[in-house]
Order: sequence, then structure tokens, then C-alpha cells
Amino acid sequence: MEGIVKGKAGNSASGVLCLILKWVIILLFAVYTLFPLLWLLITSLKTNAEYFNNPFSFPAVPQFQNYINAFSQANLGQMIWNSVTVAVIATAANVFVAAMASYAISRFDFKGKEIFFAIFSAGVMVPLNALMVPYFTIFSRIGLLDSMNALRILYTAIGLPIAVIIIRGFMDSLPREIEEAAYIDGCGFFGRFFQIILPLSKTGLITAATFQFITCWNEFVYANLLTSSPQNKTIQIGIRYFTNQFTTDYVSMYAAIIIAIVPSVLGYAFFQKQIISGMTSGAVKG
Amino acid sequence: MKITKQDRIGIVLFLAPALLLILVFFIVPILSVGVTSFFKWNGITAPEFSGWQNYAKIFSDKVFWRSARNNLIWVAGACLVQVPLALIMAMVLSTKPRGWKIFRTVYFLPQVISGIAIAMLWSAVYNSEFGLLNGLLKLVGLGDSTRNWLGDPKTAFPCVLVYGLFYIGYFMVILMAGISDIDESYYEAATIDGASRLQMEWHITIPLIRYSIMTCVTLAAVYALRTFEQLYLLTNGGPANRTSVLVLYLYNQMRNNNYGGANASSMMLILTGTLVIIVVRRLFAEKRR
Repeated sequence: MEGIVKGKAGNSASGVLCLILKWVIILLFAVYTLFPLLWLLITSLKTNAEYFNNPFSFPAVPQFQNYINAFSQANLGQMIWNSVTVAVIATAANVFVAAMASYAISRFDFKGKEIFFAIFSAGVMVPLNALMVPYFTIFSRIGLLDSMNALRILYTAIGLPIAVIIIRGFMDSLPREIEEAAYIDGCGFFGRFFQIILPLSKTGLITAATFQFITCWNEFVYANLLTSSPQNKTIQIGIRYFTNQFTTDYVSMYAAIIIAIVPSVLGYAFFQKQIISGMTSGAVKG
Repeated sequence: MKITKQDRIGIVLFLAPALLLILVFFIVPILSVGVTSFFKWNGITAPEFSGWQNYAKIFSDKVFWRSARNNLIWVAGACLVQVPLALIMAMVLSTKPRGWKIFRTVYFLPQVISGIAIAMLWSAVYNSEFGLLNGLLKLVGLGDSTRNWLGDPKTAFPCVLVYGLFYIGYFMVILMAGISDIDESYYEAATIDGASRLQMEWHITIPLIRYSIMTCVTLAAVYALRTFEQLYLLTNGGPANRTSVLVLYLYNQMRNNNYGGANASSMMLILTGTLVIIVVRRLFAEKRR
């Protein structure tokens, strides 16, 4: 297909025009995505005076002090640690629970297994933000309001539909013969799960885990609703602090935004393939 | 391989945790929202049955209708602007121009950054004094057009809505996956018949990735309905409730201890979402014939 299109485009005047148009829109979208980010990054290294004077100049001397200010004033270290522990625990629990359910559904033929799968996966379409009142009530009933355990439990649960879709899809692609030899050797239900299926599903598990981790890391709505004291805040709540506090210290605020963005961008740089395949495989079944 | 007795016990044990979590965090909450939307309830004292009163109250509230209208505009924007743009870019990048993988990476980037950080970024862009947008306008000699973008009732809602519509990476990647599954022989045959590039996209690509397009439209609509963070952060519904949406509306009701009213609003959101999904599926099913 490439060859055909290129061949056509190379010939006529309209082909050249097409080619120019194509590159204009490709670059426009790239600039749209990157320019505000780069502008913010550069501005976060300026002094306030430089910024007020000209929003598009480069800093005379990079002001790394802005980052230190941002870190110390909002106690961002504690918040980043909170986000890490919540995301790690909620991801581990989520993937393990989803893997167990997927194993049962994918590797055994029992009556109603597709009904179970439908119940597990339908949650993808639920507008979760509409469930604020019940979630708030549940956690206040069991006395977990304003605790990070509330977030760990909730994130484990709300990530299940997509995790089951991803992991089941992966397990379905493993041939059944794999377990048969082990079965004949007397390897039972649990042995086959831990020794055969789980190790072989590594790719699927990593995809689901990456996706879940990013979701947990970025979650704002329920972190905002269910926690209130400073020691329980996650990084996403933390950066909001700056909108209220630094009304004049813009450059520190911009530094804080960059701090909140960097972990996601780094994670994306390392796990791009898993992230993209995780997000699309979830979508295909939905 | 026969299912043994041990397998049967194992299956039950392995399904139980997921089932429990889904029950507690999806099924019961949705049912409870439905039931308590018919109760007068402040979250402290016991709920009291009140029939359709919560619904009557929100239906007579101008802010509710403003929020619902904004949500529908948001759905329309996502389905009619964002998804088509994503489709065009998916077609363009599927021709594998030089560096297409880098562009795919760049377009997808906003998807991995939290909505709240993106909203903060745009608050810096729209900032009334020294923001990027006003700065650019001054730079090109349009200093008269600068304004407090998020504070002006005329521009506040368009500003909060529009920036996300041009982040097309997520839908583009879904559509590109669909395009890469198309058998190349279709295009070869069409080329022999003398079809132009546009004709091929219109008559081959679009019909064959119809299912992926449907997925994108559905997701776009669902995301548009559950919009919350950016409004909460950028405008908190203001000025004068111009930028309120249903989730923000129900959040504020909950804040005012009107749990019954909040749940009636939630019900409207869930019902609208379900309706939109059904309509989208219908639309795309019709075309299939």
C-alpha cells in the first residue's frame, strides 16, 4: 500500500500538494501537543521578573531553585511517596485478582463462564464519576474515609474490568496443550496456574499492570473525594495546591506542574508499547 | 482435559474475589444510586422516601439544564470533531510517512499525563496576565483580542472544551490498529481499477474499520459525559455556572448534603450514557446492511 501511494503522489501536481498538506497537518498536531509543554518547561526555569517581562524569552540563568521551592512548599515528596505506594499496591492486587478470574474463565469450560466475563467487563462502560455518593458512603461506613487504604481498595476494584479483558484475551491465545502434559503428570488446578499459566502470561500481565499503574497514578476524582488530611494526599491533589497558593509565584507553580508530569512521561518512554497495546486492547472489546 | 472436583473448587475460589469487588463497587453502587434517588437523604439522618421529588427539583433547576446542555455539547464535540480528526490522522499515519512512529508517540503523550496536570498546563496557557495565548496574540499584533479567557462568560466554556478535542492520539491509535488489519489486496485491486486515494479511503478503509470507529465514538461519548477534573480545576463551573457539567453539578449537590438530589443527577448521567451507547450501536448497525 505504501508503495502504491508514494508512486501516485510523486507524479502529479496534485500529488505534491497532497504531500505538502499531509506534512502540514502532521506537524500542526505535533506542535499543538509539544509547544505548550516545552513553553511551560522553559518558563519554569525563568525568574518571575523574566517571565512577566517577556513570556517567550529563554532564562538568562536556569532557575532550578523554582523546583526546590515547589518541592518544599507543597511537601511534594510525601505526596509522591503516597502516590507510589497506592499505585503499586492497587496494581499488584488488581492484576492478581484479574489473573485468577481470567485463568478460571479462559482455561476451563464451565456453564455460564461468558456470563461471568460479561459481568466483569461491562464495567468499562460505567461512568464511574456518577458513583461518588455510593463510594463515599461505603468508605465512611467501613471507617476508611481519609485513608490511603480506601484508595488502594477502590483502585483495585475499578481497574478490574479492563484488566480482566486484557489478561483473559492474552490467556486465550495460549494453546491448551501446554497444560495437558502437566495435567497428566498430576499437576492440579493451583499448580498449573502458578507454574505454567502465570509465567507464560507475563506479557499480558505487564500490559495490564502498566495500564493500571498509570490509571492509579493519574487518578484525581476519588483521591480528592475520599482523602482530606495532608499526609494522605496523592501527587495529583498536591499539584492542585499550587493553584490556590502561588497566585503570584508563577514560575514555582509551573515547576510543580512539570514535576507532576515527569513521572508519567518517563513511564511512557520506557513502557510505550505496553501502554499503547493495553489501552487499545481494552477498547477493542468495549 | 476433564474438569475435576479440585478444578471446580478452584474455579469458584478464583472467581470469588473479582466477583466480590465487582459486586461491591459496581453492581451495588449502581442499584443504590437508583434506589436512593427516590429518597430525601442528607447523608447523616436516615433516608426518607420522597417519590419523584428529587427529579422534579433538578428538572426545575436552571443549572441542571445548563450542565446537561454543556455535557451534550461536549459529547457532540468529541464525536463530531475529535473522532473524525483522529480518523484523518490515522489514515495519514497509516501510509507510514517518515518518522510516523515518533509522531504516534507524540500524539499519544497527553493520554498518559493526568487530566489534572493537563488542565494546569492549560490554565497557564489561558492565564489572563501572562499566559501563552495572550502572549501569542500580542506577539502577532492582536493585543486587542487578549482577555481573561476563563473568566469571560463568552469564552470560558469553549476554552475548557476545545483544548482536549485536539488531543487525538488515543482514538488515532485504536483506528490505526483497525487499518493495519485490512488486507492490502483490497487496495491493490482498487488501484488497478484506477481509484483515487480519497476514493479508496472512503470506500475501503472507512467501511472496513467501522467497528473501530464505533468503539471510538462510544468511548468519546462516555468520556465526554464523565468530564469533571478540568472544570473543577479551571473554572469550578463558573463564571455564573456557564461551564458546569453533570458530574460537577452532582458533586456540588453532594457537598451541600443533598445526597438524594446528587443521586437523581447520577441516574440521569447513567441513563444518558446508556442511551448514547445504544444509539451509537444502532447507528453503526444500520450501516452494516
